[in-house]
Amino acid sequence: MSDEIELSLPIANVGRMMKKILPPSAKISREAKERMQQCASEFICFVTGEAAHRCQKENRKTVNGDDICWALSSLGFDNYSEAMLRYLENFREFERERANQNNYKANNNCIEEKDEETKCMTIQH
Amino acid sequence: MRQPGAYSKLLSGGVSGKTGPHSLPLARIKKIMKKSSEDVKMISGEAPIVFSKACELFVEELTKRAWLITLQGKRRTMQKDDVASAVITTDIFDFLVNLVVEDRNNSTAAVAANKLG
Repeated sequence: MSDEIELSLPIANVGRMMKKILPPSAKISREAKERMQQCASEFICFVTGEAAHRCQKENRKTVNGDDICWALSSLGFDNYSEAMLRYLENFREFERERANQNNYKANNNCIEEKDEETKCMTIQH
Repeated sequence: MRQPGAYSKLLSGGVSGKTGPHSLPLARIKKIMKKSSEDVKMISGEAPIVFSKACELFVEELTKRAWLITLQGKRRTMQKDDVASAVITTDIFDFLVNLVVEDRNNSTAAVAANKLG
């Protein structure tokens, strides 16, 4: 039983997602949230299985974001697949920018340290 | 595990703003993915992030459909059978039919047993 609970998504998060798109006056029974929890977990398993199967056929060990997008499309979730490809693109762009910023900071720090060294040497003279 | 960042706000609507960068815990998603299939060996960092968003879309769609059924029954509280009916009446949710029907059969059986007893 505890295994099952651990393998589903948190009911609070699922409940919040459901409430967000319903009118404010709408109520959701606890059982309905639990059922949605189970369905969402099953959704992850279903799509992952398809993605992993493809990876195995192509002799790849790692399931990546593109595999998930492909699996979504393969299983009939075309609209999700398109949205996820855009989302993935944004994520990768963000990661690239963050990596560039880190490189920039690292280089700037080096330049600042060199300036400090030069100042110290000048003072000594 | 890598933490999500502001890229999620790049999507219109700022959907995840209130609940933090992501609506679902990435570690939990990863656990579920690992247990789903023997074919799963390694999972990239971005895969759970994609799922976090995909699950949001999934829950939203199933919730909307279930709510239509709730309204058809002139009710304001969504029940688990509304979710079940939404699954049964949507083709792409066929993979969930056994999950919801099994439960339905159990609850129907329980009601029948009560009546007899």
